[in-house]
Amino acid sequence: MSLFDRLPRRADPHSLAAPYALDALEHAERVRFERHLDTCARCTAEVRALAEDAVRLAWSTAAPAPAAMRDRVLAAVRTTPQEPAATEPARARATQLPPHVWGAAPPPRTRGRRRATLFVPFATATAAAALVVAALFAVQANGTQERLDAERDRSREIAHVLAAPDARASSGRDARGRTIGVIASASVRGAVVTLGGYGDPPNGRVRQLWLMGADARPRSLGLFEGDAPLVASGLDTAATSLAVTVEPDGGSARPTSRPITQLALKTVGFGE
Amino acid sequence: MEADELLVQVAGGDQKAFEDLYGLVSGPVYGLVRRVVRDPAQSEEVAQEVLLELWRSAARFDPGRGSALSWVLTLAHRRAVDRVRSARAAGEREQREARRGHGPAFDQVAEEVEAGLEREWVRRCLDRLTALQRQSVTLAYYDGYTYREVAERLSLPLGTVKTRMRDGLTRLRDCLGGAA
Repeated sequence: MSLFDRLPRRADPHSLAAPYALDALEHAERVRFERHLDTCARCTAEVRALAEDAVRLAWSTAAPAPAAMRDRVLAAVRTTPQEPAATEPARARATQLPPHVWGAAPPPRTRGRRRATLFVPFATATAAAALVVAALFAVQANGTQERLDAERDRSREIAHVLAAPDARASSGRDARGRTIGVIASASVRGAVVTLGGYGDPPNGRVRQLWLMGADARPRSLGLFEGDAPLVASGLDTAATSLAVTVEPDGGSARPTSRPITQLALKTVGFGE
Repeated sequence: MEADELLVQVAGGDQKAFEDLYGLVSGPVYGLVRRVVRDPAQSEEVAQEVLLELWRSAARFDPGRGSALSWVLTLAHRRAVDRVRSARAAGEREQREARRGHGPAFDQVAEEVEAGLEREWVRRCLDRLTALQRQSVTLAYYDGYTYREVAERLSLPLGTVKTRMRDGLTRLRDCLGGAA
């Protein structure tokens, strides 16, 4: 390190957004930077964006937690009181935890149009990927060995889609908070689709996924099993959207009811 | 049900919702902590503290500011980094590293994981960064070094490391599907 670098021990706060998002500041510097965030709307927006990026690095490390840990945590929860939401002074929270995460600071005046446009595109992609990951873990948690084997095969297919250079994510959410997420690649003509918040289908019914095109008849991509992601291959790249319908057990040759949800595929590189 | 909704119910004291939330987030939390802390026993301890903190502090989650999963993982990362720094200060880690070989081991925890989906994707995107961007980002995020320590390890000026971190994260964002 050169002398020049050692001299300005107090770095320009704006340049610290990325190290802060990576938790790469020393304690004192972290505290100073968080104080700066209280007064800098631009930095707060930037930190939130970079922190979302950093979190992407976390998802890739997921690993099954030791089984005994579950019992210990759940037992502890039964006897641990919760903290109230708003009664605590903001400052106390800010010194403990990153304000962009905890919602302690900064002031609400930064909730402007500019921030919305800054966040929407990749927040959407992030949410979609989160849905897929969460669904995989739900399956793992409940899985028998047989199911885990099937899941492993499916993971390989999923990895194939993700390994494509043009893999993209998208998601949709309805008014009741139910979600559909897709990660798709036009070059390998594959997609991974998840549903969230729909619960079990009515007795004797299944949810079926369809590929829709402007000129083509809907094509079945398969039936959803529980919460597991559905992997679809051999997709027609001219397809414009996905749709999900509720069908009689075993599925149908063509949709027999109105879709419960639909998702356009343009943002993931289809429909051209 | 999704983590976001569950967390809101947990904030209301719903223990069943916490069990469901545990099912969703314990793997990502444990894996991340394990990646940073490395030592299995310490990792379990930190992960446990994080999960319990979710229960205690669920009311602070603000859905308007991002997803529950991001919130949880940001918290887990912060706790893992705090632990690894104090352990490192105590010299334990250097000894462990000397025994094991060296620095960032991208595959270490990865090998133990079943669900390989985000990992493949992130790995692919990390490969697209320049070497300095990748090292700056991973030494900080996966190994818990401060940017000053990263600068020393890579023999780079501080300003360069900060820029590489920013550029690295921004490029990851583009690759991971930020810009359609």
